[in-house]
This record gives sequence, structure tokens and C-alpha cells, in this order.
Amino acid sequence: MQMGDSSAASGTSLNSGGRGAKAASSPAENYQLARRRTLQVVVSALLTESGFESAEKAAVETLTEMMQSYITEIGRCAKTYCEHTARSVPTLSDAVVTLIEMGFNVDTLPVYAKRSQRMVITAPPVTNAPVTPKSLSAGQKRTHPSHIPSHYPEFPDPHTYIKTPTFREPVSDYQVVREKAATQRRDVERALTRFMAKTGETQSLFKDDVSAFPLIAARPSVIPYLSALLPSELELQSLEETDSSEQDEQTDSENAAGNANADDPSADKENSVLPPGGVVPSAKASEDNVIDNPYLRPVKKPKVRRKK
Amino acid sequence: MNKKKDKGFESPRPFKLTHQVVCINNINFQRKSVIGYVELTIFPTVVNLNRIKLNSKQCRIYRVRVNELEAPFIYNDPTLEVCHNESKQRNLNYFSSAYTAAVSAVDPDAGNGELVIKVPSELWKQGDDLKVLKVYIEFSLDQPKGGLHFVVPDVEGSMAERGAHVFSFGYQNSTRFWFPCVDSYSELCTWKLEFTVDASMVAVSCGDLVETIYTHDMRKKTFHYVLPIPTAAPNISLSVGPFEILVDPYMHEVTHFCLPQLLPLLKHSMSYLHEIFEFYEEILTCRYPYACFKTVFVDEAYVQVSSYASMSIFSTNLLHSPMIIDQTPQTRRCLAQALAQQFFGCFISRMSWGDEWVLKGISGYIYGLYLKKTFGVNEYRHWIKEELDRIVEYELKMGGVLLHPTFSGGKEKDNPTPHLHFSIKHPHTLSWEYFKMFQCKAHLVMRLIENRISMEFMLQVFNKLLSLASTASSQKYQSHMWSQMLLSTHAFLKSISNVSGKDIGPLIKQWVDQSGVVKFFGSFAFNRKRNVLELEIRQDYTSSGTQKYVGPIKVTVQELDGSFNHTLQIEENSLKHDIPCHSKSRRNKKKKIPLMNGEEVDMDLSAMDADSPLLWIRIDPDMSILRKVEFEQADFMWQYQLRYERDVVAQEEAITALEKFPTPASRLALTDILEQEQCFYKVRMQACFCLAKIANAMVSTWQGPPAMKSLYTRMFCCKSCPNIVRTNNFINFQSYFLQKTMPVAMALLRDVQNLCPKDVLNFILDLIKYNDNRKNKFSDNYYRADLIKALTNSLTPAISINNEVRTVDNLNPDVRLILEEITRFLNMEKLLPSFRNTITVSCLRAIRQLQKNGHIPSDPSLFRAYAEYGQFVDVRVSALEALVDYTRVEKSSTDLQWLLDMVQSDPIHYVRHKVLGMLCKNPPFTKTADSGLCNEALVDQLWKLMNSGTAHDWRLRCDAVNLYYTLFGLTRPSCLPLPELGLVLNLKEKKAVLNPTIKPELGVSVVMDTPASIGIHGVGMSYAAVDEEPDPVSLGVCGVGQPPQGLKRKAETPLGSPPEPGQILQHQDDDGRAGRYKIRFNTMEEEDIDMETVHDSQAFIHHHLNLLDRPSTPGKEPPLVEQPLLSMPATPLPPFSKETASLSSKHGGDHGHHHHHHHHEHKKKKKKHKHKHKHKHKHESKDKEKDRDRDNSYAYSNSPASGRSLRSPSLSD
Repeated sequence: MQMGDSSAASGTSLNSGGRGAKAASSPAENYQLARRRTLQVVVSALLTESGFESAEKAAVETLTEMMQSYITEIGRCAKTYCEHTARSVPTLSDAVVTLIEMGFNVDTLPVYAKRSQRMVITAPPVTNAPVTPKSLSAGQKRTHPSHIPSHYPEFPDPHTYIKTPTFREPVSDYQVVREKAATQRRDVERALTRFMAKTGETQSLFKDDVSAFPLIAARPSVIPYLSALLPSELELQSLEETDSSEQDEQTDSENAAGNANADDPSADKENSVLPPGGVVPSAKASEDNVIDNPYLRPVKKPKVRRKK
Repeated sequence: MNKKKDKGFESPRPFKLTHQVVCINNINFQRKSVIGYVELTIFPTVVNLNRIKLNSKQCRIYRVRVNELEAPFIYNDPTLEVCHNESKQRNLNYFSSAYTAAVSAVDPDAGNGELVIKVPSELWKQGDDLKVLKVYIEFSLDQPKGGLHFVVPDVEGSMAERGAHVFSFGYQNSTRFWFPCVDSYSELCTWKLEFTVDASMVAVSCGDLVETIYTHDMRKKTFHYVLPIPTAAPNISLSVGPFEILVDPYMHEVTHFCLPQLLPLLKHSMSYLHEIFEFYEEILTCRYPYACFKTVFVDEAYVQVSSYASMSIFSTNLLHSPMIIDQTPQTRRCLAQALAQQFFGCFISRMSWGDEWVLKGISGYIYGLYLKKTFGVNEYRHWIKEELDRIVEYELKMGGVLLHPTFSGGKEKDNPTPHLHFSIKHPHTLSWEYFKMFQCKAHLVMRLIENRISMEFMLQVFNKLLSLASTASSQKYQSHMWSQMLLSTHAFLKSISNVSGKDIGPLIKQWVDQSGVVKFFGSFAFNRKRNVLELEIRQDYTSSGTQKYVGPIKVTVQELDGSFNHTLQIEENSLKHDIPCHSKSRRNKKKKIPLMNGEEVDMDLSAMDADSPLLWIRIDPDMSILRKVEFEQADFMWQYQLRYERDVVAQEEAITALEKFPTPASRLALTDILEQEQCFYKVRMQACFCLAKIANAMVSTWQGPPAMKSLYTRMFCCKSCPNIVRTNNFINFQSYFLQKTMPVAMALLRDVQNLCPKDVLNFILDLIKYNDNRKNKFSDNYYRADLIKALTNSLTPAISINNEVRTVDNLNPDVRLILEEITRFLNMEKLLPSFRNTITVSCLRAIRQLQKNGHIPSDPSLFRAYAEYGQFVDVRVSALEALVDYTRVEKSSTDLQWLLDMVQSDPIHYVRHKVLGMLCKNPPFTKTADSGLCNEALVDQLWKLMNSGTAHDWRLRCDAVNLYYTLFGLTRPSCLPLPELGLVLNLKEKKAVLNPTIKPELGVSVVMDTPASIGIHGVGMSYAAVDEEPDPVSLGVCGVGQPPQGLKRKAETPLGSPPEPGQILQHQDDDGRAGRYKIRFNTMEEEDIDMETVHDSQAFIHHHLNLLDRPSTPGKEPPLVEQPLLSMPATPLPPFSKETASLSSKHGGDHGHHHHHHHHEHKKKKKKHKHKHKHKHKHESKDKEKDRDRDNSYAYSNSPASGRSLRSPSLSD
């Protein structure tokens, strides 16, 4: 009985015990130390019952540990069984099934419990059971309305069902988004350019206040046409995005606009956007190898000298 | 039409060229040098061919052999220095005639050339059998300043990794700049071209690439090209670089080349070329004449497009990615132009300069047909109108453009275009703008011919010309058929009359043989009784650039009953024309009104005059006369015309006319057009600007929101939140262009205080703020650039209170907002550059506008930074534009000098050309106004620039002439003292310190400087020439200081040591230098030049030029001292001795003027020491003007024209 009790009560917290006799600081630790001590007494009593005169401390400790593990396992399993059947408190049958499962012959238990030479151990001194921290209570618990019989479970804590709306009314969703995007972009750009201007060379439009409208200094580049002609990575990236996302829109708008755009420069763009990594050129290239263009022909080796 | 004979082409040369080999063995990018040889195969056409004249400029020639025999040669280029001996002439007429003479002297079309080779006498004897001669010339080019352009980026890595490349360029026949040849469009021959280049490079040239072979060390390869089609030397080109190669996926014989990393752009930009090919081949029913075609895209291109036989060289800036909208049509236009010139210009060449208009006309005309097909009839008509307006504007302003000048052979001065400040006798003497207008007019005239004979016949004529040429091209030289490939005016006209059977003589006479355009004034009255339209058409044919028109003119009258064409005859004395009307004025019947195109529309006729059935009248609606029409009709008629006439030209005319009628009705008509999506987008764009003008004129009565604002909101903003623009989606180009333009036009609106309405400014700022391109498949760089332009347009002059200095604190709050945006845009551009840096370009313009309007301090330093070499060229040009404007507004001589230095030294030819062009457009001062900037130093500097500083670039020289004309006019600049004193140079200003004895007051009366300065000038010139063009050529000419006569003499004496004349010259060069150094040091002791500038030859030259340019101050010493020196430069002396002479002359000269100057300065200019060189002069010159005037008469005898007479005894001994 005692075992069952203790397992049920302390199943979860037992593991943490047994770290020696440090001065316990918290009530929870005190409580566990007390239990441990009781277990040790139980083990010692059993040993005495079995005829041992004395035992090494280590042996007692080991046995205590084994017993504790055993009890813990019973508790854990029983809890599992009970939860399996959608309950929260284990019943006797849970404990029984557990014991059977662990290979214990349950029938022997009553006999063993009633044996004559059994020693009775005083209950452990009741230290303060650990105070379960108060769950945060939000608001007042609701009482049952009149049509619900009072034996029904109480309402759970209000926080479990109360909802607080966390968004504002979408006044004009689109406008706000645009506004926000625009402001954000502007702020980022301004911060970035100011930073660049602060950390690098600048030019100024005003002689009196050089920091007023700092312009990042113009630097000549060695090959100026590259940066001026090649699309920036950002543009390429956004292009890819729009390409994939726009496929549908594209067809829509084309349907709508009829063939008006067919002749436009945009028409053949999709094809040629692909080439950088796409399929078209490789196919073309292989064709080209077949095709005899003088610039693709291999360079000839000089013959004259060899013949010499 | 001067060649009335039906005979074939008559060569001006005593020989015919049949084949030429050009072999360039070595191209050194590091040193920018080229070594090679040419071999010309020629057939003498006279019995005793003893002299061969070829063209060659700036090449160093090592040896010439004729049939394996060493041949002596003379190399003389009179265009290097047009007016010799630094004559004191400063008037443009003099220069122009001298320049024309110089160009004629080496004109291949007159059988002349810079290089005269004496055929070894051994070969004379075989004269009778007229055997083939092979002329072999070894040459090299060192740092060529024209003809070939090296682009060598200054980075780590091999030349290929650096993207170094070289390409040939030039304006008209300029091939002589990079190899000796007969540089004429009419001397055709077949070609073999060989170029040995680094193994990592590709050499692209004309003709078919036969093979590519490694050199023995495997580090280089040789490209062998063969051009079997007879081609003129000016159509030969070359470009070498580490090009990426793209074989056209549609036409495998077409290959494209671009610089490393640009291949994706190339693929996209060229994806369209095959359609242009197909188009031309189809309309001309003729295959592309060459076996292959190559396009090469190079950096720092001279012009955007240049066409050569079977290849075209383009500016790399034409390449674009698929995201770019605005560049796409431009690039395609360039491709189409290049290709049109392949047929007419390259394959078919011109017989003489006078026939150029035919080729330019045809290629321009078929290019127009391409535009019509690709971009539509609206675009085509719009383009024609634009071109017509351009030519009309130019001719009315500058005087006529003559397509086919005839020079009556003789040397008498019969100038067909006396109104111009340059001669049109040679392409190389033409101003660039004139040449552009010439091309414009040529294609317009072709269109007139088409109007007359129909397009079908026109195309037949082209086809006939092409088939003749292609038959001829496949013949051997011996068949004498090659001249069929040359097109002359006569042959063209004959072909037209054969094909069409029509006489277009009057048309040709009017537009081709005569210059000028027609200026019509039209007005009308409706005679109700007779139901007749009385039309009056007057002409102005007296002002410059106009001519009288006699002949048919078409008038279209839109009446209630329909549209009717009438052909009137313009005759001498008939101004009035009666046109019977078809309809009675009856507007009660509600009936649809038929238009010209058959469409029937409902109109609200309430605006009409109740008595008249006339809706609108158009004069010459088809633009079949090169004319300007100013027609008067009532505002409602213009409004009807705008709304209902379907021709875009009519709509545009109506918009222009409506500017004068600021009424609510005009406003309504314009707004309606703006909203009408079927309307041509360029018309709608134009309507925006007109609407802005009208709104401003109606400012006090304007009702409702600012013009266009609600329209824009409706078209481009969100439905739910009208202040926010929709995220960009440029899929519909018409609305894209409108979206771009409307804010620009809106920003021009002004309120009663003449400020941009607050509403509008905030609106534009919001457009910028909410601009969101994330979902767009096109780049928005042009759109954003236009928004900046809108901000710029919104600026109005700042109200300045007692000239306070502009500071950040007193910045106008609106301007502060604008400035914030511009700063942010400009800075972002550094991090994420936009295509062609359009945004930087706009920002620079905006900043200049802010400065100009007094919102921020005017300061050129920012622009200078952006104008530096190394910025993208568009950015540079816009920065330079700002600087030019700054120079004008602030009258800053420092900046003018800075700009002129750039003209002299910038590596990019296009930029130099552009600077001069912009200075002409926005001149710092003009001939009519006095300016502190106008001083002798400037005159001398510009004179020098056109006289010798720009000898390597025809276009640039003509630009310099233009600028000189703009600033000073044709006659002697007013800031100069009269001739005698004019040239006197105050050489040693600084040295004057040493000579404090003479007081300024004394120095007034004496003329002595003249001679001394001339002596010095001569030397100075030889310095400049030698140091700038270190090739033997210039040495031969300038170093020796040969006047023309001297040259002749020299030509007669065969050159002494045949093998290495170049070497010898080289030696002289060295000697010369040694001598010069001496002088420099000597002078240095006297002038305080610092040592560094001396070592830097360029700086030295500049310094010298500055010294030379200094205005003169009459010295006080008696003239006698200097006289002997005076004669020195005139006689051909070896450089060394001349140097010594000049040295002494300097010594002598110093005493006279210098300290005088010094004194003067000390007195008047203590403050201005910063800009010693420039500032002093103006003051001085002014101070001394009177004195000079007095002195002038004295020195007249030394006038420049008399040149050498300076050493007249009276002065010297």
C-alpha cells in the first residue's frame, strides 16, 4: 500500500532526489530528502527482516536507488495506463496491470503484506508538501449558470477561454500596407545612404553645413559601362520573382489586351530572359557547333615550321 | 547634276587600285601602338607614272617599296596646321578658306594625298606596257589620336581580363588615319586583311574570316580576312578585343561581338536583328550583298552607329536587358540604320562627295520604311514631321542646306553657300550639325521623290541599282565594271526616269540643287454668298534659308459633308485661291460627318460658326514640300482638327496652334485627347505640355484641381486611395509613356504667384514616395528619372533678400523636400546603379537647376567630379552640360578653361565633341554681346585648337570652328586689338619681375612686340605639334617649319637615304628634343615654371600655350631689337637651329613686355592672384584697348595674310 501511495504521489519528482545530505534550501527539496530518508529506513527494515545485521552504506544506497526506480517505474506506467484510458488519476486496476506487466505476481502481494514479521515504520515526518505554484488566474472563475448542476466540473480558469482581440479594424488595408512599405523603404534607404555617406567620402551642396545633404562622392570607375548597363542583382532577383508570380497575371492581361502586345518588345522577352541560365541557349549552342561559323572554328596551328 | 556625261566614272588618279593587303602584325595595348604594312596593287593608267599619291595621316612610315625597289617618298599633311607660321589672322573667313585649301590639297577625290611616292626610275621605262605596280609600305602608329581608338581600362590583369579593346572610327573617309590607302569612296578594290593579335583576343574586320592561325609561339593568332567584293578604303574597319562571340541563332552567317560580361544583354538586344534583315531583303528584293555580317559593340564609341563593309561598330551603350523599355526602340532603330547603310553606303559607294546625298537619302529612306513597318504609320508620320521641323528650323536659323553642291571646277571662289561659316566642298570641312541636317534633308527629299513616282517605282530603282552593283562586284577588275558600284546623282536620276518614266527634274532642282525651305503663311475667309473658301497663301522667300516655291500644293478642307482635297497651283503672283465648298451650312440636320478616312463621326457642332460649313483646313497635309506653314484658323477649328482629324501630324499641329488659345474649350479638347486611348501616345504626351501652358495662361480663371491631376489619379492611382499610385506595371507601353510624361508636364503649372502649386508638388512627392516597382517586370529607371525631372520643372527662382548667401538654414521648405529626394536618389544610385545611370543624369540636372534658381549656392565642383573620365558617359555629358551652363551664368573663366582643357585632352572623342557642341548651344558669350570672358588668350587658344589642336579628328575641328563662330563671328574678334598688335604675345609675364625698369605708361606706343612674338610663336607651335604628335610626319612638316613652297622644293629632291627615312626623322626628333630641353631650362630660369611641369610634356605644352596666348602689351623698346628673329620660322631650318634662334628671340622679347605687365598687375590686380593667367588679361586688354587702337595702324603692314613678308627689310635691318 505504502509503495503504491508513494509512487503515486512522488512519481514525477523522485529522480531529482538522492544527491546526498546537502542542506536543503527549498521546501520541495526538504520534502524529497525526507522521502528518501524514509525509503532508506524501509530498505534497512527489509534488510533486517531478511536477517542482515548490518549493511554497508553503499549497498543500502544502491538498494534504495533500485527500489526508488522500481516504484517510479510503477508510477509512470500506471499513469500511462490511466491516461491511455482518458483518465487523469490512476486507479487500482492501472496499478495492477502495471505490476503484471512488469512481471510481478500480484496474487502474492496480499500474503506478503500480511506477513507476521513485517516491521511497521512510522510515517515520515510531514514536512510541508511542496506548494504547487499558483496558476496564473486571470479574471474571476465563472460560476455555473443555474441550468448546470453543481456537480459538474467547475469552469476552467478564465484565461483558457477568454479571447482578447489583438488587431485593429482594417480601416483600409491596402492603403496602410502601401504607406508602410513606402515609409519603410524610404527609411531604410535614407539610413543606408546616410550611413554610406558618413563612412565614406562625401560631397556637399552647401559650403556652410557640409553635413546637411551629404552626397556620396562620385568615384570614377574603371569600366563604367558594366554597372551602368548590367541589371543589378536586385533587379534580376525581383525579375525572377515577378516572372514566376506573374505567369498567371501575364496570360490574363494578354488575353485582355488581345494581341496588341504581341509585336511589342516585351513579346520576345520571356524567351530571352531565360538564356542566362535557361534551356534555349544550350540547345542553340550545340546547333552552332554543327553550324560552320568561322569564329567558332578551332584556331589552326602554324604549319610552316613543322614542315621544316 | 554637274556630271551630265553618261560615261562611267573617271578616276582623278593616274592609276587604278585593284587590290590591297593590310597586315597588322602587332597591336600593343600597353603602348597603344600598331605595326604593320600595306601592299597596294595598282594599274597605271598613264604612260609615265612617276609619282603615286596616297593618303596617310599620323602613320610613321618606315619604308616604301615599289615592285621590290626602295622608293623615296614625301609625307606632308597640310591639315596638321592649317594656317602656317602662326599668322596673326584671327578671322574665320581666312581660316575657312585656308582649311578648305588644305583639305583639297590632300583630297583623294582630286587625286591628291599626303604621301607622295616617287616611282623608282627603273620602273619608268617599262611605261609602255603599263604593268602592274605593287606598292609596299611599312608603317607604325603610336598612340593614335584619330582613326583608331584604344580603350585600356586601368586595372589589374591581362589585357583581355581588363576588357581592353581597340577599334577604328572616323567621320567620313578617315581610314588614312590608321593605314596608308587611297582614302576615297570612289576607289574600289578587293582586300586581304591580316591581323595578328593576342591569343585571348578576337580581331573583327571586313569580309570573310578565312582562317585563324596561331603564331609559332602559340601566344598570338592571326586572323585572315578576305573581302572579294570591291570596297572603298573608308569602308574598311577593324576592332580587336576580348570579345564574347554570339552567332545569331536565326542567321548563322551573322556574328555578334560584345565586351566581356555583356553576353546576356547582347543576346537580348540582337534577338530582333533577323527581322530587320528580312525586311530590307524583302523590300529591296535583293539579298544582303556580303557573305557575312558582324556587329561589334565597343566602349567609348565615336558615334552610336558606324557601318563598314560587312560589319558595323556600335556603342556598347546600346545593349540593354529585357527589363528596359525606352532603350529598346532606340537600339532597334540604330540596328536598322546600320543595316540600311550596308546596302547603300558600304556596298554601293558614292562617286563623289556631291553624290553623298543619294546614298544618305536612300539609306535614310529605307530606314524610314522600316520604321513604318515596325513602329506603325503613326510613328512614321510623327517621325517625318519631326525631321521636317528639324530641317526647317535649322535652315531658317543657319541658312540653307544644299544637298548637291556644284563647284564649277575652277578655283574661282564660287561658294554655293556663302551664308555658312564653313565650306561644304568637303565632308571634312562641314560642321557636324550641318551634316546631320544634310542627312535629314536627304531622306526627306527621297520621300518627296517617292511621293512623285510612287513607292513601287522607288523600290524598283533601288533594286536596279543593287543588281547592277552586285553583277559588277562579281566581275574581275579587268572588266572595268567596278564603277557600276559607285552611285552618282546622275545615274540615280537616270535610273528613276527609266523606271518611272517621270520627269522629276523640277523637284530635284528645287530641293537638291538649291538650298532652303519654303515658308508659307496661310489665312482664309469664307464667302457665304458664293459658298467659296477664299484661301490666301503667302510666302516668305527673302529671309535666310528660304526659297520660293512654285508648283502644286495640296489643301484639304474638312467640311460638314466630308473631307475634300484640292490641288492648288502656287504661282508667281497669285496669292488668293478660291475653293468652292461642297456643303451648305446646315447644322440642324443631325447627321454623321464623314472624315477623310471614310469614318463617320458624330460631332458637337455648337462651337462652329453658324454660317460656315468649314470644320478645318490643312495646307500640304502630306508634307510633300519641305516647308513651314503658319496657318490661321479659328480656335474651334483647331479644336475640331485635334479631336476628329485622324492624322497624327494634324493633331500635333493643332496642339501647337492651341497654345495660343487658352480657353476652356481648348482645355476640354486637350483633356479629351489625353483620355482617349486610341489616340497616338506621342500626341497625348504633347497634349500634356500644351495643357500645362494653357492652364498657366488661364491661371486666374482656372476651375477645379490642377490640370491633369484628376486625370492622372483616375488613370494611374488606386481606386480606394486616390493619393496613392498603383504599383508599377508597365506592360502597356502607351500608358507607361503617358504615366512618365504627365508629372513632368504638371510640374510646369504655375499659380498666380508664379509658383508651382503646392498641390502639384505634393502630388509628385507622393508619386515618388509610393513608387513601388517590386511587381513590375520592367525597370522603372526612366520613370523615376522623369519624376526627378518633374521636381526640377517645379522649381521657380528663389526670392532672394539682399543677395544673402544661400545656406541650409534659409532653405525654402519645399526646396528642402525636393533636395531630400534628390540626395536620396543620387546616393541610392551609388549603391544600386540604374540602367545608363539615368537617375544620376536627372539628379545632376536638378541640382544645376536648383543652383541656377538661387536655392542652393552655385558651385561647379560637384559637376566636375561627375564629369571626370571614369564616370558613365551619359553622366559625364549631363555634368558637362551643367558646367557649360555654369560657365555662362557665372561667367567663370576658370571653368571655361577647364572645359577647353577637356576638349584638348579627354580620352573619349565623343565627350570632346559633346563639350564643344554644348558650348556652341549654350555659349558663355556671343559675338553680339560683350563679355569679360572674351579676351585674346581665349581667341588664341581656340584658334590654336582649330588650327592645329584638332588635326586628328575632322569632326572635332569643325566643332571648334563652330564654337569660334558662335563666340566671335566671321570677322576678327572684337576683343582683339587691330591686327598688328593682335598677336603680340606677352610671353614672359613672370619674368617681368626681373625687369622693373620700364614703367607701364611708357610701353604704350611701340609696336616692337609683333616681330618677337611671331618668332616665338613659330617655335611654340613646333613644340606643340611635336610633342603632341611625335610622329615623323608632323616633324617633317612642323618641326622643320616648312611653308608650302618649301615642301614643294623638298618633294623634288628625292630623299637621301632610302631605307629608313622614318628613323632619320626620329633622330632629328631626338635632337630637336634635346635642343628644346635646353630652351626649356633657359626659359625656366626666367619664368618661374616649376620643374615638374617641365617634365610633364603635356603640362609644358599647356603652359606654353598659355604663355603664348597671353595678350600683348605694347613694349616700349624700339622694334629694331627683335627684327632679325622674326624671319626665322619662315625659312625651313633644321629644328635645332631654329630652336636656338627662338631661344634668343625669347630672351630678347622678354625685356620688352614683361615687366611692363608685371607692373600693371601689381597695380590693378593684387586680389586676383588665384587665376593669374586668365583673369589678368581681360582687364588689361580693356585697359589697353585705346592704346592699341592707336597702335594698330602702325603695324598693319605685318598683317597675317602677308605671312612671310614680315621679315621686310624695313623692320629687320
